[in-house]
Amino acid sequence: MSSAITPDQVTSVAPVAVRKIKSESQWALAWRRLRRHKLAMFGLFTLLAIVLVSIGADMLAPYPYDEIDLGSAYAPLMTPGVDGAPTHILGTDKLGRDILSRLMYAGRISLTVALVTTILTMLVGTIVGAVAGSFGGWVDNILMRFADLMLTLPDLPILLILSSSLRQNQAFTQFLGSNASVIIIIFILMVFGWMGVSRLVRGSVLTLRSQEFIQATQALGGNRARIIFSHLIPNSIAPIIVAATLGFGAVIISESALSFLGFGVMPPVPTWGNMLNEARNSPLEYLFTQALSPGFCIFLTVLSINFLGDGLRDALDPRLKL
Amino acid sequence: MTDYIIRRFVQSIILLFFISMLLYVILNLVPGGPFDMLRLSNPRMTQSQLDRLNSLLDLDKPLLPGQYCPRIGDMQEPCRFDQGRYLRWLGKVVQGDWGKSWTIANGKQVLDLIWGRLGYTVLLMGISLVVAIIIAVPIGIYSAIHQYSIIDYLVTALAFFGQSMPTFWTGLMAMAIFSVALGWFPTSGVRTAGSQGDIIQALGRIFTFGKLHPEMAGMEWKYIADGLRHIALPAGVLVFFNLATWSRYTRTSMLEVLRQDYMRTARAKGLAERFVILKHGLRNALIPLITILALRIPSLFGGALITETIFSWPGMGRMLIDSIAGVDWPVVQGILVISSFLVVFSNFLGDLAYAWVDPRIQYS
Repeated sequence: MSSAITPDQVTSVAPVAVRKIKSESQWALAWRRLRRHKLAMFGLFTLLAIVLVSIGADMLAPYPYDEIDLGSAYAPLMTPGVDGAPTHILGTDKLGRDILSRLMYAGRISLTVALVTTILTMLVGTIVGAVAGSFGGWVDNILMRFADLMLTLPDLPILLILSSSLRQNQAFTQFLGSNASVIIIIFILMVFGWMGVSRLVRGSVLTLRSQEFIQATQALGGNRARIIFSHLIPNSIAPIIVAATLGFGAVIISESALSFLGFGVMPPVPTWGNMLNEARNSPLEYLFTQALSPGFCIFLTVLSINFLGDGLRDALDPRLKL
Repeated sequence: MTDYIIRRFVQSIILLFFISMLLYVILNLVPGGPFDMLRLSNPRMTQSQLDRLNSLLDLDKPLLPGQYCPRIGDMQEPCRFDQGRYLRWLGKVVQGDWGKSWTIANGKQVLDLIWGRLGYTVLLMGISLVVAIIIAVPIGIYSAIHQYSIIDYLVTALAFFGQSMPTFWTGLMAMAIFSVALGWFPTSGVRTAGSQGDIIQALGRIFTFGKLHPEMAGMEWKYIADGLRHIALPAGVLVFFNLATWSRYTRTSMLEVLRQDYMRTARAKGLAERFVILKHGLRNALIPLITILALRIPSLFGGALITETIFSWPGMGRMLIDSIAGVDWPVVQGILVISSFLVVFSNFLGDLAYAWVDPRIQYS
């Protein structure tokens, strides 16, 4: 769940946004460096395409995602539709639902879950890390020992247990309504995802804390909240962005893994992961066509994210180049 | 050095205590119990009967040490201090009593169940890790030495692809291609249907010099060959996944080492390039890999869990999924204890190995 972050990434964070004018030129510079990174641009545009197709699923999808046609179940690729209906380009599933249309709608859920989880994870991780780093002492000690403990827990088994048991809790699922399984999955992934970022932020806060502009803020009467929110966090934003990008890919994989095992987002809501779960339970001769496209969507999304993250790492701090 | 080992050992024990407590509390805050099915199937069961059953299993006691006020039906007994379910459970676990399965294998000892599955998981994880490292380390070294060559780009691309392909997809695709379409390997399981023994039993017999499974005499190699045919696909999927990570780690670590002054010194004193790379470079590049290996054990376990499920490999991971689905908390707890023990113990070993191979580390 946590992205691997080496100590030299933490210590070599440049104090970027000291003055307003300079910070803008830094971002422009980073963008120019990113544009030169071919793989990162490939990732960015592929990702944009995937996002746009998912958003526009209502207009683009040839069929509704839940239109059942038992007569043409498990249709192979490029099966013509009945009575002049659109072609099933990627075939149909066990209930005769059009796989391409389901993929588009599934993208919505998978991407939304990943986006919300990543934002929440970054938020929690940043706050915990900033508090630990700037308070120091026993606060730092307790928070970081807790993060260590969380990192040592075997995460996948616990995700499975929490997800299965929260779903069985009637009161809880009724309170959350029809999207219960989606909200549960976001919550669980967040609880087990904040540690990497908090360590990262804490590290960069520790290096920033002793620098002159922080002391200047203190001398001018700025309180702790002001130091944390308007100096420490903006100055450690670069590694947070990289971690968030790579974390987004990791969340897509985790969510799909849980849904694949039947402990994540539940049908009839389609996600790439639970479509793969249905593929696994289909007769073996249909396995290839059923599993190919949902898995490829996960692969393409995560690959694009990883390319983009790699490019961002190079662009935001050229010294980090591996 | 002895002081360091003892200190790290004590720290590991304390860590294990906290981890097991956290896991126990998480599991026990979860709704559902061993009598849910009984109650559903038997609507005439009264609350006081249920209370009595619960108190037999200590389920009415507090989680952590605190006040315990027994209540059977409407009868309220005086409160007294109780050591709590966690400490009671921990005491039993230490003595080797891991409780009995509630649902998936009714009444069987958890420790026996786990013991029966552990070998399969260790075999799958072990084979895939060893094969992946044997292939990945030379690849990583080559691509670090020839940085920015075509091979290097290929390796980097492969690493990106491997990291972006989830095992549950590569597993399904490998099954569809290599066993359904081509028929090279069996789709699932650990042995051919009708076979009397399997690879784990055969290995057990070989390692105990024939003491175990006397009925298998003379058949060991047949069963091992059959087992290898079954393990090929799940292990192959895991190897592909690990290969990506390990070749990249090796490459990064090797690049770091190649820049060091002692490499230039070694060349300057006239050593053969091959000797410089292997003796001065590789040995130093492997040091960080030891820690990474130790830290990645939990994710290996997670990967094995998914792969075991796809290929119906009868390991601990599959048993975990079954027991979670069946609300069989004693079994779940047992597997979690084993896996956190694995994690903590491998971290401990990693630290020791690191201190042992790297003379620059101060123990004090």
